[in-house]
Amino acid sequence: MDFTLTSDQSALTSAIDRLATHFEAMPTDFYGFTLAGTQLEKELTDGEYFDIAGIPDLGPLTATMAVERLAWLPCTAEIALSMLVRPHLATELPRPFAVIENGRPGRFVATAKTLLIINGDDIGVAHPSVDAVEAVDSLYAYPMGTFTGNASVTTLSGSDAANVRKWLRIALAAEISGLLHAAIASTVEHLSIRRQFGRSLGTFQALRHRMAECTVLAGGVRWLVLKAASTEDEGDAALAALHAQESATRIVYDLHQMLGAMGMTLEHPLHLWTYRIKALLSELGGRGGQAAAVAALCFNSEAA
Amino acid sequence: MDFKWDSEQQSFRATVRAFLSEHLPADWEALAHGPGSAAQSTFSTKFCGALATAGLLVPHWPQHWGGRDADPWMAFILAEEMWAAGEPRGGQYMNVNWIGPTLMRFGSEEQQARYIPPMARGETIWCQGFSEPEAGSDLASLRTRAERNNGSGYRINGQKIWTSYAGVADTCFLLARTSVGKNGISIFLVPMDTPGITVRQIPSIIGEGDIHEVFFDNVEVPKTAILGAEGQAWEIVRTSLSLERVGIPRFALAARMLDRAVATLKKSGRFNGGAIEQAARAKAACEATRLYSYSIIDQRKRGLPPGPEASAARFATVTAERLVGEFVVEQLPDALAGGDPLLLAHHQRAIVAGIASGAAEIQLNLIATELLRMPREPR
Repeated sequence: MDFTLTSDQSALTSAIDRLATHFEAMPTDFYGFTLAGTQLEKELTDGEYFDIAGIPDLGPLTATMAVERLAWLPCTAEIALSMLVRPHLATELPRPFAVIENGRPGRFVATAKTLLIINGDDIGVAHPSVDAVEAVDSLYAYPMGTFTGNASVTTLSGSDAANVRKWLRIALAAEISGLLHAAIASTVEHLSIRRQFGRSLGTFQALRHRMAECTVLAGGVRWLVLKAASTEDEGDAALAALHAQESATRIVYDLHQMLGAMGMTLEHPLHLWTYRIKALLSELGGRGGQAAAVAALCFNSEAA
Repeated sequence: MDFKWDSEQQSFRATVRAFLSEHLPADWEALAHGPGSAAQSTFSTKFCGALATAGLLVPHWPQHWGGRDADPWMAFILAEEMWAAGEPRGGQYMNVNWIGPTLMRFGSEEQQARYIPPMARGETIWCQGFSEPEAGSDLASLRTRAERNNGSGYRINGQKIWTSYAGVADTCFLLARTSVGKNGISIFLVPMDTPGITVRQIPSIIGEGDIHEVFFDNVEVPKTAILGAEGQAWEIVRTSLSLERVGIPRFALAARMLDRAVATLKKSGRFNGGAIEQAARAKAACEATRLYSYSIIDQRKRGLPPGPEASAARFATVTAERLVGEFVVEQLPDALAGGDPLLLAHHQRAIVAGIASGAAEIQLNLIATELLRMPREPR
């Protein structure tokens, strides 16, 4: 047990930090639901960052840290699936990736070159033509799209599907972890600046305690997902995804409450994180789906 | 970053488990009810003596004081296994975690020679004389007075309350006021058989012999009873409590009891629907807490000073304990009605998780100020 980053991990996370710095600022005239990170995606591609999980000295744990860090940004690109799920498929498949779960609209579907199609316990892979996918407007802060179903689907074996589902859970939890961090930071900034009753809102204990509780929950999500990426254990992945969706449900509500009417406007960026989180809450079966996986994988009768 | 235990750590954990397997009696789980009871204290003294003989009571202490300089991970593995077993060390866990190390750092040679060796041999029980009727979370407002007594020592008058283990303790780690203000508080090491000390047990829902009132009525102690300098208590206690904050791996027993409750429900076909979701949430909270605590131990191993992350770990612990406790009450209520003594003992300990060692709300304040850097509340 040693939580010190290796020199390779430190170097990579520093590089991601430097890259991310260029994308932290919001465009001043942006009032939309989704801020597309087209240039971010290009720089990640040019820097070959989508392949870091496959580098032995970095591996999936470092890729998870990268996914989490990049989710702090107000703009979004298809990063988590490419960095964390794509390396675990048998053949090299083109990115961007997207997931279609039980026929619902999914993130990045309209631009995806590879679709992972979940139907119940089955997972298949498809490469849709341009006319098989369509962008849809939504309240979510990801570009959402639908799939017509018009493409041939290769169904994965049971073991491959289980492995892909594990990495989908880790990718989900890593993304939520980063989004929670950024959303909490944005809210703390608001509470520190905004004054009511002659004081900063952040001096009121009722709000301080709620923010502290949110922070503890978010920290727990981060530790669980880092562990899951390190152990590559199915149960750890389910625990991370469950805690992520469970914590995020509560935190998103609290953060919007802290922002008041300010958080209802598209002038404040909070929705760029919270409405990405909301898109993630139902994925992979939502909390009920993760709980069923935890129940199947994580209870130890012998040690009881 | 590595989440695996190395071979030495695995071997040490196996050694501790083997020791527990050999030394816990068949009726241990029934005995675990009431960690401050006379019965468990008698057992704990015998058990701690055996632990000491096996080199497993204070392995993280310096060799000079009976340890073997084991690193903080070993101390925490030991604590995890002990707590998961229902803490057969009883009140002596405090000696091991923070009272002994505090005396090593701040005690006089005489105090160290007198008090540390019996701790290292597992022979002595201490109690913590902190809280008072008017000074719980607001510890700085304590009123127990220690006044100079003709230059030869101090005369102590006052009252402590909610004091664990006081009914069986040999010595009290006592906070008393020697002058006004936060810097007017001093620590005294007071034998509990000193004339003028009266202990009254307070019946409680957390187990037999667990909390007490302690009255100090003209208790005379020599000036050598003071730990550190007059007025140094605040500094010493801050150090001590930082050791205590993650000193108890409560998640270890909570996770084990959750496993047990789930196993019991499965056997009777009751693990389904809402029970599954509730158990899974509690499991995730326990494992998140485990990793939080490990991160603090990792910091300690690297020689970093205690930071606000310890408060986050503590609050995560409170949440995990609560979720496990609620799961058992809702899904396996029979456990608290004669069904399982260790589940009962866990429940009794879990309900104080947010109160003992400082209220959880104090931790939330620390997190808001020190971790989130939010503006402080006006005072």
